[in-house]
Amino acid sequence: MLARIAHELFWLGRNVSRAELTARMIDGVFQADLQGRPDGPAGVTLSWEAVLAIMGSTSAGEQGAERLSRADTVALLSTDAGNENSVVASLERAREGARTVRDVISAEMWEAINAVHLGLADASIGVTGYGGPYSFVSYVKSRTALFWGVASRTMLRDDAYAFLDAGGRFESADMVLRMLRVALPAPGERAAGSPRDGQALALLGAVGGLQAFRRTGAAAPTATAVASFLLYTRSYPDSVAASIDAVRAALELADASPRASVPVLRLSRVLSDLDFRGRVGLGDGSELLEVCEIVGRELALADGDITDRYFGGVISPTHVS
Amino acid sequence: MSTAGSLTTFDEVFAADGVPRPYAQPLVDELERLGADSLVAAGALRDAIFMRQGITFDLTNPEGAVADRPFPLDLIPRIIPAAEWRTIKRGLAQRIRALNHFVDDVYHEREIVKAGIVPWTLIASRSHFARAAHGIRPPRGVYTHIAGCDLVRDANGAWKVLEDNVRTPSGISYMLENRLAMTRLIPSLFAHFRVRPIDQYPALLHAALRSVAPVADGEARIVVWTPGPANSAYFEHTFLARQMGVELVEASDLVVRDDVCYMRTTSGLARVNAIYRRLDDAFIDPLEFRPDSLLGVPGLIRAYRAGTVAIANAVGTGVADDKAVYCYVPEMIRFYLGEEPLLDNVTTYLLDDREQLELALERIGELVFKPTGESGGKGVVIGPATGEAQLAELALAVRCEPAQWIAQEVVRLSTVPTVAADGTLAARHVDLRPFAIFGDEIRIVPGGLTRVALEPGSLIVNSSRGGGSKDTWVLQDDADAEHDPPAAATFAPPALPDLRLRSWTGQAQQQQQQLLAPP
Repeated sequence: MLARIAHELFWLGRNVSRAELTARMIDGVFQADLQGRPDGPAGVTLSWEAVLAIMGSTSAGEQGAERLSRADTVALLSTDAGNENSVVASLERAREGARTVRDVISAEMWEAINAVHLGLADASIGVTGYGGPYSFVSYVKSRTALFWGVASRTMLRDDAYAFLDAGGRFESADMVLRMLRVALPAPGERAAGSPRDGQALALLGAVGGLQAFRRTGAAAPTATAVASFLLYTRSYPDSVAASIDAVRAALELADASPRASVPVLRLSRVLSDLDFRGRVGLGDGSELLEVCEIVGRELALADGDITDRYFGGVISPTHVS
Repeated sequence: MSTAGSLTTFDEVFAADGVPRPYAQPLVDELERLGADSLVAAGALRDAIFMRQGITFDLTNPEGAVADRPFPLDLIPRIIPAAEWRTIKRGLAQRIRALNHFVDDVYHEREIVKAGIVPWTLIASRSHFARAAHGIRPPRGVYTHIAGCDLVRDANGAWKVLEDNVRTPSGISYMLENRLAMTRLIPSLFAHFRVRPIDQYPALLHAALRSVAPVADGEARIVVWTPGPANSAYFEHTFLARQMGVELVEASDLVVRDDVCYMRTTSGLARVNAIYRRLDDAFIDPLEFRPDSLLGVPGLIRAYRAGTVAIANAVGTGVADDKAVYCYVPEMIRFYLGEEPLLDNVTTYLLDDREQLELALERIGELVFKPTGESGGKGVVIGPATGEAQLAELALAVRCEPAQWIAQEVVRLSTVPTVAADGTLAARHVDLRPFAIFGDEIRIVPGGLTRVALEPGSLIVNSSRGGGSKDTWVLQDDADAEHDPPAAATFAPPALPDLRLRSWTGQAQQQQQQLLAPP
């Protein structure tokens, strides 16, 4: 298929996934924040600073000492079209991408993503009213779920689907990894009974994995237990290992010679590394943060590899109106 | 039903002069800012969310038809300041400890009987006294693993215990769902308060069940046992199983072999170590209790007696929440713990006593009459709200079986502002059911289920009879902070690379250059 189209599909997947995970994170943190202590020590909350760090949000970071209020942060991350990391900006990019590849994706998928526009124009779906971000978040969650559901039912399992899928899963691996790097205790920090346990739990709840975590066993939901779960558990679809495996599988399908594919080989290496570490874990979880950093670096490299191998020849089209 | 007009009532938000109490001031300000329209809109959203999530209950109307209704959560939270909560917490812990001693005593040495404090005839005649439990001491000696006592405030604002529930108190799921719903519906109300979180309840319950489960090695397998989807509290059973990550079983899933309880799984029988059961003693084992019970597991009591499985709450605890036994709880606290009760009972008359019976029947129109063995407001007759004919019927029933009835003074329940259909506020009567968990120690989740009578002046708060509920906020103060996890004030998140937006930054620049360069 055309490199340009593959590139658009990959990023369509990434943007939809990013919008969803950002919205979920806002939801989880907002709720934890409400019941925490607004005047400082956060017993069981993930702070908004942490969320901004996860998003690598330069727009907020550069404001330096000036701390954003809760309402400002929610707005910045959700509906602020001027912030390129906001949910709305991600959805807008996804819509633009979908418009470009309208001939490749099914009509229903296009409708699912195009309608987001109209829905967000509805005043009752704002984040600033008394209702907070709940209706916004549930709207975004349902639209993105609809998009993926329609995609899985209506799209031919060809290269196009593979790139779309790879993009979506790549983004969830990346986002979950970012969340973990913020939620895990820093080296030297007391791990047991750490307030970060609450942060990890808020994140787990946000990605919708609370129930899955509880069903895997009776481990207490400490930061390290949650992080191991989100990192290693292949049977949980949003875990880093499962997401990377899905990206690898999708690329293998789309690649004419996967055994010679740099990104496929790299992702396979990361996966076996993850499997190995998951089995020989030190028990106290002190290695988790390091694992997250290593995997994070590898993912960034894999991102470059994917671009080089599949989208290397892409020249950004010049549109003349 | 008499109305609040003539008698004084304690309002928890507004003091007698109509000025908000200091801790409630921010709430009143925020409600004024929001206005009636916002409250009406939030109410519509609430009903939509609850219907969608299936958080409903069956309301039986006078014609007998059953309708599925969204759980009526009132949008104004009920606020309990930290100091008051400390009193409640200590009082409840004391009371539950005494009740636990009492259950142990009843089925073993009967010291309280020998001491002449509670008559044995009274204990043995209670409908929930379980002979089968005689001599069985469960792991750690804990019987009342899950307890929910109903508290009310009288006209002076003093907290009193109205009822004990140590069989299968329900409502915990509504307490947790109410909080979640409030954070979604009107989060701005939280802004001015430090509300203590309650979502640790399932984890506490799981830990308590684990701590009493007899298990030689490895993980304890815990199950929640439900009578089935037809039960009105089925939502709560599924909720707790899901929140704890354990199996929800029905009787047909459990089997006892050689004094060991198992559940049937796809990979054969699996040992069960602890059962959180949500059905009454009478139904759990047809070999020991009602032989016609189809909901029971034959042989379960045998396994329980052999100590291979823990049952929460223990078999036979019903004897402790009987309403006639309730009168003796303050004495129990003195007898077993050597302490003075921190929470008082509501004035109660034991009708077994001839003198009290006559006095109570003389004032039949002023008192509340309750059958002793029931729960959930079943069979309760409120004198002032009942007609002559029904009172005569009641008098007859009481005279026939005086031991099965008690009479209580009417308590003017405290009031809290509540949203009416048009968004305006009006005072309505409330009670409170906090939930305690007894495993290693007694833990009481800060808050509880506040039930509210939605009819003006009504004192009936049961949701099956038109009552609603409120989210209950226990405020945090600095004395609590010592027990909470240490602060993460110095927390500085690591710097992560920016999110990427496109793969072709290089080419975008190239393109830009093309555009900038003159052709």
